[in-house]
Formats: sequence, structure tokens, C-alpha cells
Amino acid sequence: MASVVALRPRGREDFTASLGMVVFLASWAMMFSSLFFAYAFVRARSPVWPPPGVPVLPIGLPALNTAILLASSFTFSRGLAALRRGERHALPGWVAVTFLLGGAFLGLQGHVWLSLGRAGLHLTTGGIYGSAFYALTVFHALHVAVGLLILAWVFVQALLGKYTEHNQVKVQLCTMFWHFVDVVWILMFLTLYVL
Amino acid sequence: MELQHIHPEPTSFLKRYVFSEDHKYIAKQFIWAGLLFLLFGGILAMAIRWQWAYPGREVPAVGKLLLPRSGGVITPAAYQTVFTMHGLIMIFFAITPLLIGAFGNYCIPLMIGARDMAFPKLNMLSFWVFVLSQLMVLVSFGMQLGSAGAGWTTYPPLSTNVGTPGHGQTLVVGALFVTGVATIMGGVNYVTTVIRLRAPGMTYMRMPLTVWGLWLTAILNVLFVPVLGSAGLLLIFDRSFGTEFFITGAAGGKGDPILFQHLFWIFGHPEVYILILPAWGIVSDLLSFFARKPAYWYKGSVYSMVAVTVLSAIVYGHHMFVTGMNPLLGQGFMLFTLIISVPAEILFLNWLHTIWKGSIRLTVPMLFALGMVFVFGLGGLTGIFLGTISTDLYLHDTMFVVGHFHFTMAAASFIASFAALYFWFPKMFGREMNEALGKWHFWTSIITITLVFGGQMIAGYSGQQRRLYDPYQYTFLEHLRGLNKATSHAAFALGIAQIFFIVNFFQSVFAGKKAERNPWNVGTLEWEVTSPPPYHNFDVVPTVVRGPHEYANPEVKKLLGRDWLTQTEVLPEASAASEEDPGKAAAGA
Repeated sequence: MASVVALRPRGREDFTASLGMVVFLASWAMMFSSLFFAYAFVRARSPVWPPPGVPVLPIGLPALNTAILLASSFTFSRGLAALRRGERHALPGWVAVTFLLGGAFLGLQGHVWLSLGRAGLHLTTGGIYGSAFYALTVFHALHVAVGLLILAWVFVQALLGKYTEHNQVKVQLCTMFWHFVDVVWILMFLTLYVL
Repeated sequence: MELQHIHPEPTSFLKRYVFSEDHKYIAKQFIWAGLLFLLFGGILAMAIRWQWAYPGREVPAVGKLLLPRSGGVITPAAYQTVFTMHGLIMIFFAITPLLIGAFGNYCIPLMIGARDMAFPKLNMLSFWVFVLSQLMVLVSFGMQLGSAGAGWTTYPPLSTNVGTPGHGQTLVVGALFVTGVATIMGGVNYVTTVIRLRAPGMTYMRMPLTVWGLWLTAILNVLFVPVLGSAGLLLIFDRSFGTEFFITGAAGGKGDPILFQHLFWIFGHPEVYILILPAWGIVSDLLSFFARKPAYWYKGSVYSMVAVTVLSAIVYGHHMFVTGMNPLLGQGFMLFTLIISVPAEILFLNWLHTIWKGSIRLTVPMLFALGMVFVFGLGGLTGIFLGTISTDLYLHDTMFVVGHFHFTMAAASFIASFAALYFWFPKMFGREMNEALGKWHFWTSIITITLVFGGQMIAGYSGQQRRLYDPYQYTFLEHLRGLNKATSHAAFALGIAQIFFIVNFFQSVFAGKKAERNPWNVGTLEWEVTSPPPYHNFDVVPTVVRGPHEYANPEVKKLLGRDWLTQTEVLPEASAASEEDPGKAAAGA
């Protein structure tokens, strides 16, 4: 119960800041929704999906990647919770783990792209299937990359001791963005690989 | 409740005059940026009208300078660029910064009693990102093959590398993405500011209708501009990275250009309400202020605007009736389109009721507000023909469509912007504008606007397609040469009439009569502070006790000898009677 109380946004200005973040993420969610709409449109128009002759998408590696990204969301929120409990020395560790997990996600994603490329699914010659697959995953990966930059910044600031239990809203906003990127990935994994 | 800090005014030159975080200063920056591009877009419009009046004849004065290779004649390729960039510049780089960037920034904090936006730094960034997009547009004109030429709607396959191979088109699509990011930054700020920073007692139902319009617009912006962003993104992928979302047929792909139309209009239809909702709000307030009467059925106006905002998301298909969509789907879109005209009509009737038997003061802002009612009425009525499938099939892609959306978007939105500019100018710059020049500006503009866009509608009804380079190549349009010429001359007169405004604006900014605190005798919060307001707006955040339109109350006339009350005044002997009010106010805050 105490942790629930601790997780509530602190103060008026913190609440304003997180509301702004929610509005921004709602906007960005519409951007991704449009990409999903484009994917659905293309797929619905295609007589066979996947089109004949394209390599089969792997499922094991992306599933592992989903787990990794989920774990990174978990570690980041543990870090925030620790900061809110006043254990500010614990934050850099959690952020570092989150960063490594995020990096691992990008590395594995790169591996998936390369192996698909070797199997014959290219961005430029893969037809509409390749276009849709790469456009969605690359655009998402760009967000992960931006997230990693943010994490690196949070890590440095945390090492310098800039965050305290009373000054934690910036870390909170970063976790919100990271969770958002995570949720988008889960939907993308389900749409591209499972459905 | 004293939770908003007073930040000291910065003293360094950069922080004060360039990267200012003061919403009032950013609003002025948006005004300058918007007016400059309004002039640019207007000159392009004159070029289009020249082409339709005198196809193949040398453009006078500037022709040889701008088009040296063709001897001053507008070539087909140049014509493509001219009409494309006229549309894009006017919508994204002129109306948007004026109506939303400038008045959103200026009015929202002052009218709700806040000291600044919720995120001042984001606000500053929003402006400079917007300037970056404007620069991208300017640079695109210098590219080989010129700027964008695929029409403002940027439909593929014309907008893919097959139709417009130059870098200009890519750069302009990129500029749309960047300007979208700026709009979203502004939108996040507006939405959050209205939710979080209203003064004590400023309940939602006491907000001026201007703020309602701007707030709903901000919500639409935040939700639908990203859709344009992703359409632009996919188009850039196609153009620069070799995907094939929109490439099909002879170009050798399995994509579908119709996908772009869906994404474009999912954004594009909310966009027309994005551009008209602030205008509706501003005009609703101004009509009440200058008819010296409370706005008729304030809540009805609010609910109508909310209904339009919600419905605007589900009517976009009426732009695509002729794409071969499922007839059932088409009927659905037609139904919603006709339904959305009901709340718009309620709003319109509220305006008429507001001025009915009012004691109307025909000031310049009021004239422009009434002018907006007139042109919006024309634009709204003619929209019904385009929302109905059976008539749209004939009118689609004709000059009738052009006339219709110019009446609503160009005429109504711009006239409302001018109304707002004339109204808030004393507050913004601390000086008054010249009334005689303002009236000349109004009458010359409103008459020529009606002639220009009315002429376009008649041409369209007679069968003239939009965007034709030389309509008279078709014998069945030969007889429209006279009509088009007359329309063009009206358009040139409209262009020249803006000189009244330019002269008036510059004269008043630098040498106008000093304005007093409340020159119009109105009761909203911004008029309770000095003109121009101090850096932090309010020394003490005001406590609001009533709505924005308290006029012609006989009780007030008896007690105070005037016909209006501010939103914060507590009447001396009525304070006991309205005990309930402050309580309600505190709960709402």
C-alpha cells in the first residue's frame, strides 16, 4: 500500500508535467496507429498474406526480444520506485540495466533484419510486404534508439546525484516514454509476427 | 492557490527577443511569421489568377525576374508549383500560425488567468521548429525542378518520384512533418494549460468561447496532425528509401495510392475544423462583446463545438466519394457529414440570436466578425452539395469545390484572424489601430472576397475543373473566359486592398495612439491588466466569479452606471445573494 502512495505523482507541477507527457504520448500513439492502419490496409488488399515467395518471419527471436523489452520496462520502473523511496544510489544501477536491455533489443532486432535480408526480404525489392515490415520495425527501432539516448542522459544525471525523491518527475517522464515504446512494440510483435 | 510562480523577466538579448519563453512575445513572433507567409501565399494566388485570366501572357512587373527562361510566362511546371505552394503555404504556414500560433498563445493564458503556458520552454521550441519548417519551404524553391508540384493534397502517384522527381517535393513533405511536430508541441501546451492553469473560479463553463475554440482545436491538432505526419513519412520512405506503399501500375509496384488519400483525409477533415473552431470561438465572443448582449445559449455553443470536434473524426470519407468506395461506406460518410452540419447550424443560429436586438457597435473587429458570419454562411450552405454523394459526383474536382473551401477556410478563417488582430491589437502592442483604414480594409476585402470565391463557384457549376493550366483549351469552357477574367480582376483588387491593412499595421505598431487598459469595455480577464500586460500577466492571479459575457444587465446599470461587468467583479450588495457562487467556483478550480 505504501508503494502505491509513493508512486502517485508528487505535487501540482509534477502532475502538470505528467499530464503534458500523456497528451504527447496520445499524439504519438496516433502516429503509430496510422502506421498500423496502413499495414492493415495493405494486408487487407492483398489476396494472399504473406505474398508467395517471401521468406517466413522468425518467431523465436522476436518473442525473446519482446521479453527483453518488457524486462527493461520493469527494471526502469524499479529504478523509479527506488528513487521515490529515497534510495537514490540505486537509480544508476537500474538505469544501466535498462540501457543494456534496450541495447540488446536493438542488437537482436538488427540481427533479425540481417538474417531476413540474407533470406531475401529487402526494403527496396521486398515488394509491399517488405515495405510494410521494414517501415514499421525501423520506425519503432528509431524510438528505441532515442530512448537509449534519453537513458544515457538519465544515467549521467543520476550518477551526478541530480535526482532525489522530491525531484524525480523527469525520471518519471522518461519511464512513461520508455513504457510507451514498449507497449507499441508488443502490439507490433503481435501484428507482424503472430497474427 | 498561489501556485504559479512569478518568474523574473530575463535581461539578456537572446532570451528576451529571440528565444523568448513569454507566451505574449511568442504570439507576436507567430504573427510576423504568419503575416509574411500570408503575403507570400497571396502573391502566389495572384499568379494563379493571372494565369486563368490571361493564359500564356507575360506576368507584369515581376514575370521576367522570376521566370527568366520562359520570358515571364508561367510555364505548366511553374504553374503546378504555384498552385501547390499557394495551398500549402496558406494552410500550414499562414492560417495555422496566425489563428492558432498567435492567438492561441496570446489568448489562452491571459483569458484563463494564467501567468504563462504550462511549458514555456516547449512553447519557445514550438515556434523555432515552425521557423525551421518555413525555411525548408523557402529552400525548396531553390531546388532543381523547383518546389512541390503535386497539389496541396500531395496525392500519389503524382507526388512519388514518378510524378515529381525533384528534391523540392521531398523537402516540402519534410517541412510538413516538421511543422506538424511544431503544431503538436504547441497543442500539448494548449491542452495542458487549459486543464491545469485556469484561475480559481474559472470553470470550464465560464471560459470565453475563444478559449473553447482554441482548446478543442488543440485537441484535434494533437490527435490528427500525427496522422498527416505518418502519411508524409510513408511518402518520404517511398521517395527516398525505395519502399512502395503508394507506387503501383506502370511504375511497377504493388502499393496503393488510395491508402495515402485515407491517411491524408483522416487528418485533412479534422484539419478544416482545426482552422475554423478558433474562428468560431473568436466570432462568438466578439458578437456578444459588440452587440452588448450575453452570447445567446452559451452552453449550446460549447456543446455544438464539442460535437463538431467529435464528429469531425468520422466524416473524412466525403472527400473520397469518387475513389470507388463501397456505396454503403459512402452513405455512412454522407450521413455523418450532413449530421455535422446540425451543430454548426446551432452555432450559426446562436450568432444570429446574439446580435438580434443587440445594441450593435460597428467597430472594425465587429465588422470583421459579421463578415465572417456572412462568408461562413455561404461556405457552409454550399458544403451540403459536396457532402451529398449524388451532387458531389458532378461537382467533385471542379472550381465549385475551390470556391466552397475558400469561403470557409480562406475567407472565414482569415477574416476571423483579422477580427482577432484588430480586437487584441491594443492589448498586444499597447497601441490602437486606425479605425478609418480598418473600415476601408474590411469593406474592400469583404466585397472582393465574395466576388472572387462566388465567381469560382459559378465557374465550377458550369463545369470548369480545378487546377487547369489553360481552361480555354476546352471548347466547352471557352465561354467562361469573361467570368474568369472578372473573377481575376476582383482577386487583384482583393490583393491590393490588403495594402490598407499593411499600412495600418505598420503605422499602428510603431506610431499608433497609446491604448488604454480596456478600450472596448469588455469583461474578460485580459482587459483587466495593462496594455501591453506585464511579463507575468497578473500580479495577483484573479478569482473569477462569472462567465465572460455579462452585458446589458439592468441591475448593473443601476449600481455602476455601465452596461458591462468583468469576470472578477463582485457586486457590492449582491455579494450576499451569490454566496453560492464562490463556493461552486472553488470546487471547479
